[in-house]
Amino acid sequence: MKSRLPRTPNRLDPIPGRSSLDEQTLAMIVSLASEVTVLRARLDTCERLLVAARVLAPGAVDSFSPDAAAQAERDGLRQHTLNKVFRPLREAALADVAAASHATGGMEMQA
Amino acid sequence: MSGIAESRAALAHPMIAVPTHDELVEQLFVRDLKLFVGQTLEPAQQKIAAQIAPAIAASGSNSPVDDLRLRMQSFESFTTWLSLKRESQRQLWAAVEDCVERQADQLEALAAVDAPKGTLTLDPDFVAPDYITRGDIHLMPGGNAHDDGSVLQGAVMDRGGAVYMLGRNGGMLNDLRGHTAMAHLLTVAPDINPGRILDMGCGIGTSTVPAAACFPEAEVHGIDVGASMLRYAHARAEHLGAAIHFSQQSAERTTFPDASFDVVYSCVVLHETSPEAAINILAESRRLLRPGGIAIHLEVPLLHTLGDIWQELSSELEAQFNNEPNWRGALTADYGQLMRAAGFTEIRTGYQATAFNGRSALRKFGDTSDGVFRSWFVTSGRA
Repeated sequence: MKSRLPRTPNRLDPIPGRSSLDEQTLAMIVSLASEVTVLRARLDTCERLLVAARVLAPGAVDSFSPDAAAQAERDGLRQHTLNKVFRPLREAALADVAAASHATGGMEMQA
Repeated sequence: MSGIAESRAALAHPMIAVPTHDELVEQLFVRDLKLFVGQTLEPAQQKIAAQIAPAIAASGSNSPVDDLRLRMQSFESFTTWLSLKRESQRQLWAAVEDCVERQADQLEALAAVDAPKGTLTLDPDFVAPDYITRGDIHLMPGGNAHDDGSVLQGAVMDRGGAVYMLGRNGGMLNDLRGHTAMAHLLTVAPDINPGRILDMGCGIGTSTVPAAACFPEAEVHGIDVGASMLRYAHARAEHLGAAIHFSQQSAERTTFPDASFDVVYSCVVLHETSPEAAINILAESRRLLRPGGIAIHLEVPLLHTLGDIWQELSSELEAQFNNEPNWRGALTADYGQLMRAAGFTEIRTGYQATAFNGRSALRKFGDTSDGVFRSWFVTSGRA
């Protein structure tokens, strides 16, 4: 998306000891924290509006209990999220396992 | 800046960019992130510095702040704190720019004021000084002189400034410095009735409107280097009912004739210039004054009154990583000497209590600061 206004400030001195990747990673985490905060506030607004409109009873979300099918679906969603978010750690661990296996003469190791 | 509901009609002036539900939460997130960085993370760095400081003092170093900086850099939490501080500033501008761009057409329509009481004079050949263009001040992308022919950069500065000051400088009006300058004027000259007043480096006019409010009979002028800033300042002032004459000029050398103002003032301008420019601005403020006229230059608290090595380092980091081009120069200057050199008499230097209304505020001026946002450093002199 093209912005009308400039988006990158002129002159960003490097911070000693911080790599470019450090800076990029930090900026992405801050942006994600911002997005989650906005999303959480929007959910809160929806919940309050639904209670005000008498669509939901107060506390309905907190007292909600999924049935077995819904629970299974939600378990799957959670596993999917974990695998997606922590994929780099799993890959790094597998690479270390491979390296260790190579160093020790190809002993059988399973990740 | 609290609560979720904001509407254009409920605000102090209709030119300010109004955030949506999500944009407001995003801006509040930035405000709270800045508070977290300043109030939760920074004190830990201050404690580390306090542990290192005695060894630096014992070493008899000629450059203790540089030494502290080098030693602090060996702590990862220090560089992370610094990175997060800068990132919070970048997030601020990004959030505000999204908000401004979304309502660009509406803001342009609002800026087209019928039968304005004030004027706007832009100079298409104006070249912004180096200290403005070398690095974007406060990391605002494009900088103070950015101009695309619209009011948008001014709108970014207005909304961004209010969030940047965390609402502690007069909320969405961001005008307490202007009121404090006027309170100082009335402290040193309680019966003054100025005919012409000039605000140097007025930006979007947050400090200019208070002069018109305190002295409704006066002819008030504001000058700045940024055309978009001034276009926005003009519209903002008109919506606030203030008749102000804005023009694009350098405060170092204006086109106004000698002895053409009764009061000339600036608010937190000198630390955004250069040591040479600051001297030129003081001299220009003297040149423009009629005999007996008063110049006032308001700044953030001086470094040498802080007396704390961590505060000095923290200030230097702010200058370098938030692009404050003359931070050290402006905050360590001997203003008494500079004002004398510029030809002023009845020179005062000290701290003026922050005023919510320049005319009715407590007229408290003295040698000690009540703290950041509670008082401002001021130097003044008479022609």
